[in-house]
Amino acid sequence: MMDPTLIDFNFTHQAHWIIILPMLGFLLELIIGKYWWRKGGMFATLSILGSMIISFGCLYNVYVQEMPFYEYSWEWFYPGIVAGFTIDPLSLAMLCMVSFISFFIHFYAIGYMAHDCAKNVYFAETALFTGSMFGLILANNLLQLFIFWEMVGVCSYLLIGFWWHRPEAAAAGKKAWMSCAVGDCLFLLGIAIMFTIMVGTPGVSATEPISFNQIFQNLGHLHHAAPIFGIPALTLICVLFMCGVLGKSAGFPLHVWIPDAMEGPTTVSALIHAATMVTAGVYLIARAFPIFLAAPNALMIVAFMGAFTALYASTLGLVVNDLKRIFAYSTISQLGYMIAILGCGAVLGVTAVAYALFHLVAHAFFKALLFLSSGSVLHGIGNVRDIKEMGGLLKGMPWTGYAMLAGALALIAFPFTAGYYSKDMIIEESYIYATHGGALGYMVWIFLVLGVILTATYTFRAWYLAMTGEPRSYPAVHPHECGIWMKTTLIVLSVFALGLGIMTGGGHKFWDFLKQTFEQETLTATGAYPGLDMHDIAHYGGNTLMHHGAHPPQWVIYLPLLLMIAGIAIATAVYYKNRIDVSKYVKKDNPIYQILWNKYYLDYLFKDILAEKIIMTLFTFWDVLDRYVIDGVVNLLSWITIQSGQVSRKLQTGMVQNYATAVIFGVSMLMILVIMIRGGI
Amino acid sequence: MIPLEYYLLLAGILFAIGAYGIMTLSNGIKLLMCVELMLNAANMNLVAFSTHINDASGQVFALFSIALAAAEAAVGFAIILMVYRLRAEIDIDNVKLLRW
Repeated sequence: MMDPTLIDFNFTHQAHWIIILPMLGFLLELIIGKYWWRKGGMFATLSILGSMIISFGCLYNVYVQEMPFYEYSWEWFYPGIVAGFTIDPLSLAMLCMVSFISFFIHFYAIGYMAHDCAKNVYFAETALFTGSMFGLILANNLLQLFIFWEMVGVCSYLLIGFWWHRPEAAAAGKKAWMSCAVGDCLFLLGIAIMFTIMVGTPGVSATEPISFNQIFQNLGHLHHAAPIFGIPALTLICVLFMCGVLGKSAGFPLHVWIPDAMEGPTTVSALIHAATMVTAGVYLIARAFPIFLAAPNALMIVAFMGAFTALYASTLGLVVNDLKRIFAYSTISQLGYMIAILGCGAVLGVTAVAYALFHLVAHAFFKALLFLSSGSVLHGIGNVRDIKEMGGLLKGMPWTGYAMLAGALALIAFPFTAGYYSKDMIIEESYIYATHGGALGYMVWIFLVLGVILTATYTFRAWYLAMTGEPRSYPAVHPHECGIWMKTTLIVLSVFALGLGIMTGGGHKFWDFLKQTFEQETLTATGAYPGLDMHDIAHYGGNTLMHHGAHPPQWVIYLPLLLMIAGIAIATAVYYKNRIDVSKYVKKDNPIYQILWNKYYLDYLFKDILAEKIIMTLFTFWDVLDRYVIDGVVNLLSWITIQSGQVSRKLQTGMVQNYATAVIFGVSMLMILVIMIRGGI
Repeated sequence: MIPLEYYLLLAGILFAIGAYGIMTLSNGIKLLMCVELMLNAANMNLVAFSTHINDASGQVFALFSIALAAAEAAVGFAIILMVYRLRAEIDIDNVKLLRW
């Protein structure tokens, strides 16, 4: 029997500690961790454990005890700019997932980073990373969300470049920062437009102009806002938000930083891909979902970009040989699925958010597992990352090998794993979207379905090449299994990657909980926000929501399953049984292979053409302008000053007599003046 | 009883001599002496007026002024002394190192 006071404790009112604790962990690691190197990571791990306890306490409050959703705001600056937190199913799902995964990644890192000489800095940064993500999740307004959004970006920059002494790592950190910055600038612009419109809309008594609940309550007024450049204001805002999402959640074309980000420690990759970084973008769309729903055409763009990214990234996963990069591309692809189903919310309503979030949570578990097991591989064979140089590792490291298999099965949506419930539902529902959404809708569905077969192929290609067959290099002959810290983590994550779907009753418990998000009222310290009517909001954007759940035909339900099995079969035939020889296609003179190998020349386009040709040329013009026009004006001003000084400083003779004469002359003149004006002394 | 005008006239002449000296001389010591002359001319005015209106506060003021002049003279002579040590002359026309 648990202590009743603990059960009655209202965690939702203490949610700010979820952010504060990791920040404290960050400071303690930085200050004290330096002198306590052997115990490095304890502060960070324990502080995140604390956040996890509070998060699950909140979940218990809201889910089991059915306490109301809660929002709290502190006055910050400017009338109406607040800092605060929101506890609702959406933020709870994210909080619990992030704290849980992040805790286990920290736990794993105690073993993985045990010998790194800067490990207190590493743990300080990951604590800050996780804390920023909590801040982003809990934010109840756009400004706070954006600040934490940027902090997440900064931490990812620091951590990707953690081994900064390697030039590739330093460059990768810079690339991540700059790709995200492109999206973030546009995102900030979107927030600014939203602020302007909220403040200026008549009928909006906007006491908190960019708080989510205020925006949601006033969508009816907002969709009348004057169009900007002929685009409905809300659509423009949503497109700008979407740009931020593409940067952060690695959507096409701003995904280029993700594969390079593999230069960081593997635990960082796991953190970025599962818990703290790339999910932020998906979370933003989910959090701002009513705005997207009320904006004409916005969700259509979201769905298409997501589906395209899903297919695009999975084609790239086929040719990469770096174990971590394969999983990196699969992350981009899976994020595409989440974004695509959020886009399908134009028909499905808030249910789409539930589906996206369930896939997000399931993905977090199996992707963390995949990265941590590949980290264990790297740890065991001396940082060899090329799968061509691995092979036969299953004998030497069975725990790692089977953990990776569990992750791979969940990733390709093998029946009864977590991914099966989350991803197949996305594909089925995208078919329903397609039947309502016309040609573009079918394209979304086709992209997602094609992604399935490719996902199964590249995932099992990686697993077969790494784990089975004969060792193909010296380090792979004698792999050593990971230690107890890492092994524990792998087991826990495997259990969730395989069993999350079954634990949540095939996802239904999760979806039913998440569906309440926007449609129930939210309590605040001063009052309550009523729940939203999603049908009304959809009408503002010209969307029509389905009133009752439709079921796709049987063949649509079984198609992904068949394609998945086909994908496994292809991978087995090629890379395990060696029945099919692909070496004659995998050559540099095969144009398709060349395109894939060069990542569709996107890096070439961005770096060699955009950065070095166009920006550098513009920079040359700017340099000339700077050197001759701007510097010229400044130099002219200083020249004038010097020349006038040359003349006027002759007044200062340095002769005492002259000064005395001037004083006496001046005083005499003053006296004469006084006499003349007053007529006598 | 000497009338007030005589005092004022004497003070005026003293002040004029001092002012003329300041404007024309270049010897540091002489300059300081001229400053003293001007100061004492002013003191004389204070005392004269104070006797004239039968109020002692003017004389008290003059005493303060004399004390002040002593301090000022001390600082002034100290500077002249340092200048002399540095340059072996006290011609202030040549002391313009910080000019431009």
